[in-house]
Amino acid sequence: MAKQKLFHIVKRDHLGFGYKLLVYVGAVLLALAVGAVLLAILGVDPIKYYSSMITIGLPKSKFPESNIESLIKIFVPLLMTSTALALAFKMKFWNIGGEGQFIAGTIAAGFVALKFGPEMDFGLCLVLMMLSAMICAGLLGVFVAFLKVKFNTNETLLTLMLNYVVLYVLKFFAETKADWNLFLSTTSQRPMFANLNMKMPTIQLGRFHLDISLIIAVVITVLIFIYMKYTKQGYEINVVGDSSATASYAGMKVGRIIIRTTFISAAIIGLAGACSVSTANIMSTSITNDVGWTGIIVAWLAKLNIWGVTVVSLLISVLQYGCQFAGSSFSQVDAHFADILQGIILFFVLAADFLVRFKIMFHKKGGND
Amino acid sequence: MAAANYAIELRNIRKTFGSVVANDNINLNVKQGEILALLGENGSGKTTLMNMLSGIYKPDSGEILIDGKPCVINSPEDSKRFGIGMVHQHFKLVDVFSAADNILMGDNNGGFLLKKDRFKRITDVAERFGFEIDSKKLVKNMSVSEKQTLEIVKVLYYGAKVIILDEPTAVLTVQEIRKLFDVLRKMKEQGHSIIIITHKLNEVMEISDRVAILRKGVYIDTVETASATEQSLTEMMMGRKVDINIERPVMEKTAPLLEIRDLTVKGDEGSVAVDKLSFYIRGGEILGVAGIAGSGQKELCEAIAGLRKIESGMINYKGENLVGLPPKEIIQKGIAMSFVPEDRLGMGLAPSLSITDNVILKKYSEGASPFVDRKKGRELAEKVIEELEVVTPSTETPVRLLSGGNVQKVLLGREIKAEPNVIVTAYPVRGLDINSSYAIYDILNREKLKGTGILFVGEDLDVMLALCDKIMVICAGKLMGVVFSEKTTKEQLGLMMTGSLDISDKNGKIAGIAKDSNITEDCLREE
Amino acid sequence: MITTLATFLYNIIFNNIPLLYGTVGEIVTEKSGSLNLGVEGTMAIGAVFGYIIGCWTNSLLLGVLAAFVFGSLCGALFAFLTVTLQANQNVTGLTITTFGVGFYFFVGNGLGSDWPVFFESEAVVKAFEPIHIPFLSDIPFIGKGLFSHNILVYLGIAIAVLMWWYLKYTKVGLKLRAIGENPAAADSVGINITLYKYLNNMLGSGIMGIGGYYMGLKLSGSFEGTCWINGYGWISVALVIFANWNTAKAILGTLVFGFFNALQVSKGALAYTFPNVLGWLADIPIQLFQALPFIITAIVLIASSVKKNSKSGEPAAKGLNYFREDR
Repeated sequence: MAKQKLFHIVKRDHLGFGYKLLVYVGAVLLALAVGAVLLAILGVDPIKYYSSMITIGLPKSKFPESNIESLIKIFVPLLMTSTALALAFKMKFWNIGGEGQFIAGTIAAGFVALKFGPEMDFGLCLVLMMLSAMICAGLLGVFVAFLKVKFNTNETLLTLMLNYVVLYVLKFFAETKADWNLFLSTTSQRPMFANLNMKMPTIQLGRFHLDISLIIAVVITVLIFIYMKYTKQGYEINVVGDSSATASYAGMKVGRIIIRTTFISAAIIGLAGACSVSTANIMSTSITNDVGWTGIIVAWLAKLNIWGVTVVSLLISVLQYGCQFAGSSFSQVDAHFADILQGIILFFVLAADFLVRFKIMFHKKGGND
Repeated sequence: MAAANYAIELRNIRKTFGSVVANDNINLNVKQGEILALLGENGSGKTTLMNMLSGIYKPDSGEILIDGKPCVINSPEDSKRFGIGMVHQHFKLVDVFSAADNILMGDNNGGFLLKKDRFKRITDVAERFGFEIDSKKLVKNMSVSEKQTLEIVKVLYYGAKVIILDEPTAVLTVQEIRKLFDVLRKMKEQGHSIIIITHKLNEVMEISDRVAILRKGVYIDTVETASATEQSLTEMMMGRKVDINIERPVMEKTAPLLEIRDLTVKGDEGSVAVDKLSFYIRGGEILGVAGIAGSGQKELCEAIAGLRKIESGMINYKGENLVGLPPKEIIQKGIAMSFVPEDRLGMGLAPSLSITDNVILKKYSEGASPFVDRKKGRELAEKVIEELEVVTPSTETPVRLLSGGNVQKVLLGREIKAEPNVIVTAYPVRGLDINSSYAIYDILNREKLKGTGILFVGEDLDVMLALCDKIMVICAGKLMGVVFSEKTTKEQLGLMMTGSLDISDKNGKIAGIAKDSNITEDCLREE
Repeated sequence: MITTLATFLYNIIFNNIPLLYGTVGEIVTEKSGSLNLGVEGTMAIGAVFGYIIGCWTNSLLLGVLAAFVFGSLCGALFAFLTVTLQANQNVTGLTITTFGVGFYFFVGNGLGSDWPVFFESEAVVKAFEPIHIPFLSDIPFIGKGLFSHNILVYLGIAIAVLMWWYLKYTKVGLKLRAIGENPAAADSVGINITLYKYLNNMLGSGIMGIGGYYMGLKLSGSFEGTCWINGYGWISVALVIFANWNTAKAILGTLVFGFFNALQVSKGALAYTFPNVLGWLADIPIQLFQALPFIITAIVLIASSVKKNSKSGEPAAKGLNYFREDR
């Protein structure tokens, strides 16, 4: 005879905000605790490591402004990419092609800078870089969205494949020494990317140089928030994401909405690529810093909420830069510890999601067995 | 040990989903070798109750006794071991598997390997039970009744002594139903206990030995079928006398608003779902659409709303052809369609969005501003909530958190607030309790009095006879005839629904074409 | 000339067997309805543990076992999150990849100079050497190309064939496929979905782990620069589609993808040996060969969706979680 199970699981309707916050903060703390164990195994004092990580070296630094500047360099592309991905995910369009779209943006921007930069007005060229990056990345997104709409092609796998195709295109430009290849430096014998001479301008505030791209990123984020929350197109995205049958019933052109939204999403990622390449002032095959992947994790951690995305992007940037920074004083800890920690945090948050979405019901003692 | 007479006995079973009580205090038993009908309206908790026997759900409290012994069913695996087999309304079959593999996938005996002779073995086993199946045929190539047969063979193969069938006749033709009932009788003779879930009284009277009645999740009684009448059963099922007290106000009828002529539409699988259908609706009348489930109702509604491709024929609104117009323009012309699907949330509502966002669904794009006018939306939501008495904490509550009746009120409220000239509504009371249903009927009647033409696709014939002015009956997408509610009977409708009676062409008077049609010879020629 | 071709064939197989492990592991996983995008990370974890334990115990067998065990732990984690806790499969898989690759560097750097040296583990080096099969290895051309491989190559092919048989001809395989196609149907006939999903996620991820270990051995365990796995996990995800979810076809797919991989390395030699016939090879950028697996898969993916291929082996419920009490 079967034994009565101790408990079973049922879906929950909704939960108070306080409880949710408690669950998620608890999850992050637990994740940090697991990370601490790993650190301790390596013989590193977790408290010292964590405090060095979280403060990103500000207290001891002679020049704390530069730490903030470095942090912003990580934060800006991550924020833009995560915001853009959240937009696509909201529509249940699984764009995991952030890497490819980002690279497509950098290639387009780099091309414009090297081809037209020397003869063009600086500001105009910068704008042209961004526009071409947005169009190039956007079209890459549209390609997938079109196939999804028309033939129901699996967008998760297709965007995944395109990431690598685009990456190898970039590598081709990076490694092929030829007369036509304007991406490479003409002075170097070995293939090496040329300097763009299109450095993103900064605003000087005392000793601090505020990168314009931060302003662009913040403006984009605010615009996307307004777009999602208040505009008709944003409303359409919400309806399509919730129930595409309802959307077409209401007379919405679902296919067009999916294509349009994917274009916007990919274009913003392309813009992030243009900003990054301009800030670095040189192209690189590792220019993405994995934001296409990390952005997915950020968007998910933030539950696709734009303000959440902003906060989580910032925290993850602190984590990444902090680990880089702490790595300098704890040489046995690789900077990739950031990835591990990110992974563990997400594992725990996914587990916490369970507590939010489901309720465990314990059975009262009963039955005749 | 009197209890040992019962193959299954349920005592004080209770099951809740969140705050909704699906089953409360249920006491039910079935003897060996009898057919028990489980009768109740839609949403009365029949399927939920049976799913606790099949191991899909677990009761919150109460006891299940099998052959007199208390048992705990934790999973479908346990249920199978206890000799219980359920044929679900939506078949649980793997499309890309053969019949034999669908059976063998649940078989834990007979070796580790899938052998070539398995097809023959399954065919033989089926024959022994008295069924003919092609065990090599893939499920995706099977007809509905073949799938059902396979499901029955499957549970018999697993050695089920108690067989539960959930609405088995809903998808079958008359002949197929007759065949199914023969099978059930034979299984009964072999000593199987059968529980058949249904809400069709004629079937209950024909097949069952005893009837157990549920109402709104509560157990009412079990009676001998022989001593019951359709009237007495209906009373128990409804909880009050069945003079369905729906008003039918009489209105001056206008010229035809919407005329459908020779409409042909295909279903999702590419077969013809609506077949050369003609009918018309005047202002100020409710035209009912009766038919067995899956006779083309959904496809008809979608075609009118512009959501489904029209193969041929005409949809004419006040003299203007609507065929080929996008859904948005059809909405703007004043034709509202609301279809309540089986899951009740699928089409017409965005469950995670607020009431406000749901009531503006069809008019959000009005005006040139790029922004959604939520202020107006909130006012509209408040009006819907007030006039239709929707129970909700606020206008910003996500629709999925509302109870079924309130969800449907929001859906219908939005359609009415758009002040349409024609309302197409399918199953608006699906899953609702009697009071909520009456509220919905009142709303429809009020609209009718305003001069709106209403197409009411329904399930319950009693309701349709009381509410509708005329009823058109379709069978397999074809028109069987249009009758006045006052002049017809349930029996006649039943005959038409199953295709046994066709009065669509009575003495040369073709049903479904108005004398004062807006469709002129010119229109037809142009087409 | 023959030698160049034989070496070419040998390289195709020798260098690309990890793809076969990754692909077979992912097929076993996806057939149960789980889309695990954590192949790259799982292979990295298998590689790290397989390598370290194999070297320290000086035993290839223990290394393989360790790679399998730690790979399957990743599978267990994936199953715990997506089956028991109902988490999103895409996100969970990507996280395993991030975590796994991060862990690889964390351990690698953390060990620093303590990182075990491959060539000091003589038994492992010896066990990884090509096996001379009497008669077969002596056949001209194919003897070198096909029958002079190390034990893990044959193990990989054996696993692929075994998994093909398991999925197609055993009752357990039938149950597993039922879960991947229609979990509700599988549940209703009493198949223990949780158990099967856990077991197959663990089995699949374990196989991926061995593939990761192979990468480490192939690269002689030098812990420098990029991660050993270096995208092989992602190519495996692509290869699953190319192989149409059939582990036997995955062998063929590995050869095709491996062919392009090997061309990158051997194209110079080939162009030099056959200047008239294959001279053009030298002009083709290697990045094209690197991208080809992904381009081909993208084309297969698009073509099969356009054709609506009814013979597709793609499990219908792939990527979707199952919750019994869903209404």
